[in-house]
Amino acid sequence: MDALIEKLKGQIIEQLNLAEVKPEEINPDSPLFGDGLGLDSIDALELIVLLEKHYGIKIQDPKDGKTIFQSLRTMAEYIKSQGKS
Amino acid sequence: MIKAYINGTGCISPQNSIDSDWFFESINPAKGDYFDAIEPSYKEFIAPNLLRRMGRAIKMGVAAGNIAIQQADAKKVDAIITGTGLGCFEDSERFLLAILNNDEQFLTPTSFIQSTHNTVGSQIALIMKCHDYNFTYVHRGFSFESTLQDAMMLFEEGKETVLVGGVEEHTPNFVLLNRRAKKFQEASSTPIWKSTSEGIQMSEGTAFFVLNKTKTEKSLASVDGIQTVYNPKTSADILNKLHAFLKLHNLTLVDIDVTLMGFSDDVNFDEKLKEVLPSIEKESVAACYKHICGEYHTATAFAMWTAVKLIEKQKLPRVLAISDKTPSKIKHVLIINQYLGINYSFTLLSQC
Repeated sequence: MDALIEKLKGQIIEQLNLAEVKPEEINPDSPLFGDGLGLDSIDALELIVLLEKHYGIKIQDPKDGKTIFQSLRTMAEYIKSQGKS
Repeated sequence: MIKAYINGTGCISPQNSIDSDWFFESINPAKGDYFDAIEPSYKEFIAPNLLRRMGRAIKMGVAAGNIAIQQADAKKVDAIITGTGLGCFEDSERFLLAILNNDEQFLTPTSFIQSTHNTVGSQIALIMKCHDYNFTYVHRGFSFESTLQDAMMLFEEGKETVLVGGVEEHTPNFVLLNRRAKKFQEASSTPIWKSTSEGIQMSEGTAFFVLNKTKTEKSLASVDGIQTVYNPKTSADILNKLHAFLKLHNLTLVDIDVTLMGFSDDVNFDEKLKEVLPSIEKESVAACYKHICGEYHTATAFAMWTAVKLIEKQKLPRVLAISDKTPSKIKHVLIINQYLGINYSFTLLSQC
């Protein structure tokens, strides 16, 4: 799980162009949206594409996104649950 | 006739124009056949969460707009008008490359959203919380000129303060493709107005201006008139139209202290300007600017920033001068720009 979280950190930084953020600064349990990393709705779309591009996972129901993208850890857990890590 | 008073300017170019004290000292040469803009640290002007999504054209435009607004001490503007020939080229290219590289799959929204030409003006509006008139002109070599014409019309309609600007960016692919098409040539020691070979030095940059309908203590100069001339057949056509333009403002060429001419280093595009030059030199002091800013659709914006500086400093730097003539004063500056030998324009600025 830890290795997947580290990999996700790098992919998110690259996909969202978070040039100012270092991987070690991202707390895997902090919220991705709002107070934590401060992502917004456009970033949510980028994360959906990231999951599809790198892990072959298509999110069928947009409502699931709220739970999946809660934090880095929930993202990693979802990827694992899909058997795609 | 309505004038537009320039109360603030911001310019990012291949030179050190971002520094308000810079006055054409230590000129940066072209990088062979093109120029890159000298970009500032954008963190001073743009919040990091916005910055990460912006392409260079947007960053340059927002920063230059910000500088102009600060200089003018403008609390609000009634309109934002942007001119650009190529728009946000970097993001357009990024989006198209993603389509190609990913077989039309996995397309992300950011570069698409940021690729539209009006993103520069809209980002400035969002940051300024300006919900008023916002327009972007994409009229090739008339893009910046159109912003001035629109601003003048807005003043006639009663608007008081308008932010106008021109912005252009290039990318490594854009330079590569145009080089292959032999559109460029390396800068040489031959003066730009004497070039006998084909090709320009492609460039990029931005200049923004806060224009006011009425003169204030902040006013640096005034834009008295702007006229575009599309594809004139002969140099006589240009001169006839120029004389008529000046007459509209009760001036003749003798009254023009400095004429900034848009020689581009391409013998084909500069042909008519070369024929016009003797008439200009006879009655005015001729100067040029594209040997230091390069060629791009909105180079007139750099020329206008230059004109404001000349009026402010009352001096014509040697690096811009075409001959040894020096103006005794700089009250009126005329810009004659040309783009690809098709889009000609006259812009008249005066001391105020």
